[in-house]
Amino acid sequence: MASVKLQDLRKTFGSVEIIRGIDLDIADGEFVVFVGPSGCGKSTLLRLIAGLEPITHGELTIGDRVVNDVPASARGVAMVFQSYALYPHLTVRENMGFGLKVRKVARAEREKAVSKAAALLKLEALLDRYPRQLSGGQRQRVAIGRAIVANPSVFLFDEPLSNLDAELRVHMRSEIASLHQRVATTMIYVTHDQVEAMTLADRIVVLKDGRVEQVGAPQELYERPANIFVAQFIGSPKMNILKADTAAALSPGGSLPLSATQCGVRPEHLRVGSAAQPGLPGTVVMAEYAGAETLLHIQLENGDTCLALHRDGPPPRVQSAVTLTAEPGRTYAFDADGVAVHTSS
Amino acid sequence: MTSSLSHRSGAQARAPWLTLQRRDAIEGWLFVSPTLLGFLIFFLGPLIAIFIYAMSDWNFLSGEATFVGLTNFEDALLENPDFWHVLRNSAVFALGLVPLNVALALFLAVALSRPFRGVIIFRTIFFAPVITSAIAWAIVWKFMLQGEGGPINQMLALIGITGPNWLREPNWAMAAVIVTRVIKMVGLNMILYIAALQAIPRDYDEAAGLEGASRWQIFRLITWPLLGPTTLVIVVLTTIGSFKVFDHIYQMTGGGPENGTLVLAFYIYQQGFQFFDIGYASALAIIMFVIVTILTLIQVSLRRKDDA
Ligand SMILES: Nc1ncnc2c1ncn2[C@@H]1O[C@H](COP(=O)(O)OP(=O)(O)OP(=O)(O)O)[C@@H](O)[C@H]1O
Ligand SMILES: [Mg+2]
Repeated sequence: MASVKLQDLRKTFGSVEIIRGIDLDIADGEFVVFVGPSGCGKSTLLRLIAGLEPITHGELTIGDRVVNDVPASARGVAMVFQSYALYPHLTVRENMGFGLKVRKVARAEREKAVSKAAALLKLEALLDRYPRQLSGGQRQRVAIGRAIVANPSVFLFDEPLSNLDAELRVHMRSEIASLHQRVATTMIYVTHDQVEAMTLADRIVVLKDGRVEQVGAPQELYERPANIFVAQFIGSPKMNILKADTAAALSPGGSLPLSATQCGVRPEHLRVGSAAQPGLPGTVVMAEYAGAETLLHIQLENGDTCLALHRDGPPPRVQSAVTLTAEPGRTYAFDADGVAVHTSS
Repeated sequence: MTSSLSHRSGAQARAPWLTLQRRDAIEGWLFVSPTLLGFLIFFLGPLIAIFIYAMSDWNFLSGEATFVGLTNFEDALLENPDFWHVLRNSAVFALGLVPLNVALALFLAVALSRPFRGVIIFRTIFFAPVITSAIAWAIVWKFMLQGEGGPINQMLALIGITGPNWLREPNWAMAAVIVTRVIKMVGLNMILYIAALQAIPRDYDEAAGLEGASRWQIFRLITWPLLGPTTLVIVVLTTIGSFKVFDHIYQMTGGGPENGTLVLAFYIYQQGFQFFDIGYASALAIIMFVIVTILTLIQVSLRRKDDA
C-alpha cells in the first residue's frame, strides 16, 4: 500500500515533449483513472510510473521513496497490460507464479499465493491451462491474478478491458471495482472510455496533450467541469456548446455571467417542448430511438445542431418544430478560451 | 435463384458424371499439372535413377552396368572400413558445427535484434559471407591458415603463440574447416533468429522485468522457450547442411590430411567422380539420405516431447 506523488513530471521522446509537466497526489488506497483522447500520453504516464520508461524531468514518489532511479522491479508496482502479456508457453499457474519464482520464493509459498489469487478471481479450474486455451475474459482475469500474486503496493492497468466485447467489458469492470474494494490497494487505471472512468474512479484525471485538464471525483467533473474540453469529454452524449446569446433563450429566467461567450448544456438537461412554448426554437432533424430514451438532433435557426435526450412520452416527430429549455441551474458558462466562468447569481 | 438452379440441373442432365466435386478435382489437377510435370521430370526422375544406379555395378570408364542387388550397400555398411571412418568424420563435423553455429547465431541475433546506430551495418557484415562464393571463401581461408607465413599464424606470433600448420594436422584441420564454415554460414541462422526475436512482443520482456526477472532469467525462461520452433528449424537445416558440406573440404583440405576431414559428401564425390564407381556412390547417397532423415525425425520428435 502506498501513495503516489508526481511532481512536474515530464517525458520527451527525441525532441517531442509528450508528458508536459504533471503534478498529482494519489492517496494510499485510492482508485485513480487517467482518461483522455488517443495519443494524449496516458500510457506513457503509466509507463513512467511503472518504470518502463525513464523519467526526463520531475520527481516521482511511491510511498515515501523517490523512485526516479529505482528499477521497475523494485518499485512495488504490478501492471496489467492491454495485451495481457501472458507468457504463451506457461500454464496459468506458472504465469501467475512467475514473479515469485524469479524472486526465488519457495515453492510451497508460491503455490499458496497462486491459490489464494486464483480463489479470489475464480480461476481454480483453469490453473493448468495454457493462455491460448482461455477466452478473452479469462485471460484478463489471469493477467489481473498475476498482478495480485505480486502483492504490489500499487496496481497499474493500461486499458485492460479494451480487447473485450461490450458485455464482458461491463462485467469485468464490476469485477475490478469489487477487487479494489477487497484488496484496497492503490490503483491507477488508464482508459479512453469515459464511462469506465466514471464508474470505477474515486478520482478522474483528464489528460490532453500531455497536460492535466482537470482532476476530480466523477461527479465533480460532471457537475463542475473546468473547461469545455472536460465538459465535452465527460458525459455521454457529449455536452452541447452554444453561443452565449443563442443560449440565453434556453433559460428564460436565468442569466449568464458577463464574461461568458459560450454556454454548455448537456443533452439530458434539455427539455423539448412544442413550438408554442417559450425557449430556443429549432427543428428535429433526426431521432435515434433507444428504448428508454430517444436522442434528438435539433437544428437551431442559426444552423447549429443541438442534441437533446427525450425520456418521457412519445418523442416529437422528425421535421417538427420544437423549442428547447434547460433545466434550471444546469447550464455552464465558458469564456472565449473555453475556461469555465462561475455564475455569480 | 430459380434460374441458377435450373441451370445446374440442366448441366447434370447433359453430363451426369461431371458432378461439382469432379469438376473441382479436374480443375485442381489442371492447375497443378505444370508443377507436377516439372516435379516428375526433375525430381522424381533422378531420384528413381539413383536407386537404379545404387543397385548396379556401373563403371563409368568401361561403360558396363550390371545389376548387383544390394551389394553396394553391403560393401559400404559391412565390408569397407572407409565408410565408418567417413561417417565418424561427418558426425564429428556435425557435432562441432551445429552447436557452434546455433550458439553464435543466437548470440549475434540477440545483440543485433534491437535497433541501434549502425545495426544494419553489423547485420550486413555477418550476413555477407552467406552470399559470397563458397569456393572463394575457402581459398581465402586456405591462405589465411597457411602454416608458415599465414596471416593467422603471424598474428598469433605477435602474442607469442606458435600456431600449428592448421590444414596439415588431422585434428586441427577438422577444427579449422568447422570454424571457417561456421563463420561463413552463421549469418543465415542469425537472420532467422533476428526475425523470430522481433516477433516476440516486447510486452513479455517488460512484464517479466517488472516482475523482477533479471535479463538472464528473461532470456532463459521466456525468450529461449519462445524461440523453440525457430531453433528446431535452424538445427535441422544446419544438420542437413553439415552432412552435405563439400565445397569447403574440396578446396581447403581435399579430405586430408590422413583422411582426417574426409566427410560423407566428399567421399561420395570421390567414389563417383574420381574413381567412377557410380553404383557405390549412389548407394552412399541413399545411405546419407536415410541418415539425415532419421536425424531430422529424431529432432522433430524431441521437440514434440518438449511441447507436451
Ligand atoms: N517510444 C516512443 N517513442 C516516440 N514517441 C512515442 C513513444 N511512445 C509513445 N510516443 C508518442 O507519445 C504520444 C502518447 O502516446 P501514448 O501511448 O502515451 O498515448 P495514449 O494516451 O496511451 O493513447 P491511446 O489511447 O491510443 O493508447 C503519442 O503521440 C505517441 O506517438
Ligand atoms: Mg495507450
